[in-house]
Amino acid sequence: MSNSVLRRRLGRMVMAGVFSSWVLASPFAHAGDASAGSDVFKSECAECHSVKEGRNKKGPSLFGIVGRAAGTAPDYAYSDALKQAHWNWTADKLHWYLSQPAKQANPGTKMKYDGLSDSKQLEDLITYLSTVH
Amino acid sequence: MSSALNRRAPRRPRNPSWWYGLAALPLFASHTAQAVPAYARQTGNACADCHAGAYGPALTPYGMRFKANGYTDTDGNGFKIPAAMQITGMRYVPKQGQSTTDLSEADLYLAGRVTDQIGGYVKVQSLNNGSGKFSTQLNDMDLRFAVKDVKLGEQSATIGVTVNNNPGFADPVGDLPGATANGPPTVSGTLLNPSSSNTLAHRVIGASVYALYNENWYGELGTYNALPTSMQDHLGYGISGDPGKLSDTGYARFMYMRDFKRQFFSVGAVALTTRRQLPRIGPTEQLTDLGYDFTYQFLGTKENILQLAYVNILERRRYATTPTGVLPGQLALTNGAVHDQTLTLSYTFKQSYGVVLAHLVSTGTHDVVRFQPYGEPDTSSNTFTVFWTPFGKDDSLTAMANLKLAATWFRFNKFNGSSTNIFGVDPASGAVVTDAKDLDAFLVSASVAF
Repeated sequence: MSNSVLRRRLGRMVMAGVFSSWVLASPFAHAGDASAGSDVFKSECAECHSVKEGRNKKGPSLFGIVGRAAGTAPDYAYSDALKQAHWNWTADKLHWYLSQPAKQANPGTKMKYDGLSDSKQLEDLITYLSTVH
Repeated sequence: MSSALNRRAPRRPRNPSWWYGLAALPLFASHTAQAVPAYARQTGNACADCHAGAYGPALTPYGMRFKANGYTDTDGNGFKIPAAMQITGMRYVPKQGQSTTDLSEADLYLAGRVTDQIGGYVKVQSLNNGSGKFSTQLNDMDLRFAVKDVKLGEQSATIGVTVNNNPGFADPVGDLPGATANGPPTVSGTLLNPSSSNTLAHRVIGASVYALYNENWYGELGTYNALPTSMQDHLGYGISGDPGKLSDTGYARFMYMRDFKRQFFSVGAVALTTRRQLPRIGPTEQLTDLGYDFTYQFLGTKENILQLAYVNILERRRYATTPTGVLPGQLALTNGAVHDQTLTLSYTFKQSYGVVLAHLVSTGTHDVVRFQPYGEPDTSSNTFTVFWTPFGKDDSLTAMANLKLAATWFRFNKFNGSSTNIFGVDPASGAVVTDAKDLDAFLVSASVAF
């Protein structure tokens, strides 16, 4: 193998590594199946949340949720607990939040949810939510 | 002096068409659509979030919780006027008798949240009586005070009070006849069946205390009293249907339900007991209803929804009097029982297209004096409904209004204890013989709610 070929391959590997790091760090990143996540959303979330922009139900619109600061959906009356949460809804934060009872993750929240224990469904759901923007 | 149950002893009708109406009316009620867009405006929800077919009455688990929470859940985005309207047009084609096409019903709903803990459902309906005039009635009423998120140990509960005018209507699962208005059409049904003669529905007022613990366990205890006949009259109900003077009336409902998101089931028991005088100055009879019910829903992603409900109610009666029969020595029984059962299966596709099948059976103790001509009060009927609800979903054009188009076929297998010659006329006399299937009817309706 010539030096030039080796350098090109090494260059690709470095670029792939840089890209992977960016993807993993991105608030939009997740490795699930968005289509399956849409189904999870319909059965787990859709009664209280809409993915339409500006459409609040019992819970706020989840349009653009991944990457959004907590407690900032327009025209939604948040609980004091979530207003004071001061976090961003990154994919990892959503994973943490949705994998346990909401009242445990954010005591005082209005959200009633027992958490999603199926890790595959959770990955799919977060992947789907990251497409909604 | 006869009691209500004695007075239920059938008489041969002079005008058979009157009987067609009597038999069919409860079924019409059961298939009259119910929609309250005021709730959608209040919560930001689509109709389909609470109703499998995006139009009432069949509830999803989410809709059950909304009801148990006293109709007070909200999107938190300001006050919404708790009112809605519904208009229904209907084409009615009975097997015997004249077909009609008219604006059959206009409804006003005062429904929704008053405060965080007070809400309700009140339906005022104006029914076309067939002669171009409308009669207005107070239909179902359910006023609630509910305290949510009460901490009981590690779990939370909703505890509330309901003031309502129809035993069973306040039920969260909503499969009891009082909630579905779908009890078996009958000549002698149970107290909990609004299709029974002298029914309690809409002619009583009662209050219950209820609790929903951990969203799984439901209990309710209450009592009812009959409204004065003058008030029944003012509310649009003729005094001939007076349920009588009630005393020592108790209502109890217990249920276990489980929402798995993609599936739901419930099992429950219900009881209603009362002492009744009808006429109000007459002797007292003792009536006790005991029932159980089972429901199952496959919800999945709401693309395909299957709902199954079975309700079985047994009523034990200790009659006030024992009238004599036509033949010497014939005497009515002092005790008896009637038994109402409903089995309902529905399938909804995309929460827009649906099919509903119902099998309705009412049976009773053989009593040749009370249940002439055959001594049996038994009825058996089926309904088959197809419907289309184009709006009411998250992606619909509007959440402010809804539409339901439905076609229903009513089929009677047995009435008055027989499938043939149900009124026991003598064919040789030239009288018209009426078979159970002659009560069949076909109905097409369009309902608009806004």
